[in-house]
Amino acid sequence: MQIVSGGVTDVGRVRTNNEDSFRIVEPLNLFILSDGMGGEAHGEIASSLAVETVEKYCSRPEGAKGDSDVTLHGIASDNWSPLTKVLQNAAFQANFNIYQSAQKHPEQRGMGATLTAGWINGDRLSLAHVGDSRAYLLRTGSLQQLTNDHSLVAEQVRRGILTPQQAEESEMQSVLLRALGANPEVEVDVDEISLMPRDVLLFCSDGLTRMVTEPEIAGSLQAETDPHSAAQKLVDLANERGGLDNVTVIVARVQDESKGWFSWLRRDSSKKV
Amino acid sequence: MAKLSLMFENKVVKEVPIGSRPVTIGRSPDNDLPVDNLAVSNYHARVYYEGARLVVEDLDSLNGTFVNDLRVERAMLHDGDSIWIGKHHIKVDATADTAIPWDTGRKAMAPKINETMVLDTKARRDMLQQAAAMGERSQFSPGRLKMPTLVVLNGRVNQKEYVLTNKLTVIGKSPMATIRLRGWFKPQVAAQINQRDDGYYLGTGSKIPFVNGAAIQGPVRLNDGDLIEICGIRLNFIFRE
Repeated sequence: MQIVSGGVTDVGRVRTNNEDSFRIVEPLNLFILSDGMGGEAHGEIASSLAVETVEKYCSRPEGAKGDSDVTLHGIASDNWSPLTKVLQNAAFQANFNIYQSAQKHPEQRGMGATLTAGWINGDRLSLAHVGDSRAYLLRTGSLQQLTNDHSLVAEQVRRGILTPQQAEESEMQSVLLRALGANPEVEVDVDEISLMPRDVLLFCSDGLTRMVTEPEIAGSLQAETDPHSAAQKLVDLANERGGLDNVTVIVARVQDESKGWFSWLRRDSSKKV
Repeated sequence: MAKLSLMFENKVVKEVPIGSRPVTIGRSPDNDLPVDNLAVSNYHARVYYEGARLVVEDLDSLNGTFVNDLRVERAMLHDGDSIWIGKHHIKVDATADTAIPWDTGRKAMAPKINETMVLDTKARRDMLQQAAAMGERSQFSPGRLKMPTLVVLNGRVNQKEYVLTNKLTVIGKSPMATIRLRGWFKPQVAAQINQRDDGYYLGTGSKIPFVNGAAIQGPVRLNDGDLIEICGIRLNFIFRE
């Protein structure tokens, strides 16, 4: 499948430093987003360490071969792509690297990072996720959340203690139950989704989802077909609303490759442009 | 006037009233409430009035200050609250103060958190236990695990019943659809169901589904017993024990 993508990160309107990191590895169709935490500049260290580790791990020349013996957590099934395992292991590695760095440098104690990473191979999207950044899928106009937040308020919603509205108003939104780097081991959510032509994927940090509603996100993604402009528009919107946090957005679109009756016509006209 | 009682294993160690001056808590003996324990910083926290509100403030202590199990940097206090510092706790007695309405007070009491933080394993366990004790109304509550199920009432599909296990369930003709529609003019994706934190949401595909007879406008949360109609098939959404 042909994928076009773009990403934007911004410090927001309130903070002085950007603790978010992202990376788009185009040849691999790999998308990595991380939101760091920890005082001073340590959130930045944690998130860039997360992104770099995942990129490096997934780019190894041996590819998926070295990871075949590893079992997947959660709801994995037998026919899942080996890339999902690699991605999960990459998340484990990122967790370990952040944790180890914090152990070596006492001033980095308490730093951590979220990770939401997607890897497209053929029509399969592999996902690995820890924390409260999110992955969404826009398909036929419906925006669907592909990840569960590992935050205290989300857990309370899952347990029926809070309604989603109460969770949005809660002052405890920043309390995470899981993050990379907090412990030597971490539980990573993995999932696989089948993609279809014209699907739009969105990866974002909580700086977007706390400022902009889901219908607005869906609307922006539908209105703007260029992924980079769509990401920029969403970042601008978060900033217009106050930009209380760093905001990072990656948009990836699955191109329509259907050979319709008049596809030769469309291809012709695109050549002229 | 409010008073603070320093407690250790349910015994009162010392009591002090809170006046206009802040009450200091710490390991150093010159504190108003000295706490002799290595886990306590020399000047650990202080409690004072800010207008009519009683406030506790952590003084950058190493091991932290907890109000009713939540780590705080600064929090508003209420009658009956407990401030935990190491193994000691301090009971807040504000009965003499004008009562603060419970709802507004409760909300204001939540610690002010600007920075993202991660709960350590113990704090997380405690908090989840506390949360579990608060109510078991959830569809996802352990013990009585209920499986979200779509029962086919009529229409041409590949199964009679589907248990929803994935984040995303597609209804359509597409080979990747879980609920596979048959027929020439059926759409690839007629509708889709997204599992979210608070339940299962039905969203549109290239068709607009009906729930209990009404066309949906956007994603709607499915309730036990809902009737879904789409592309000539009728499905019953139920939670099966």
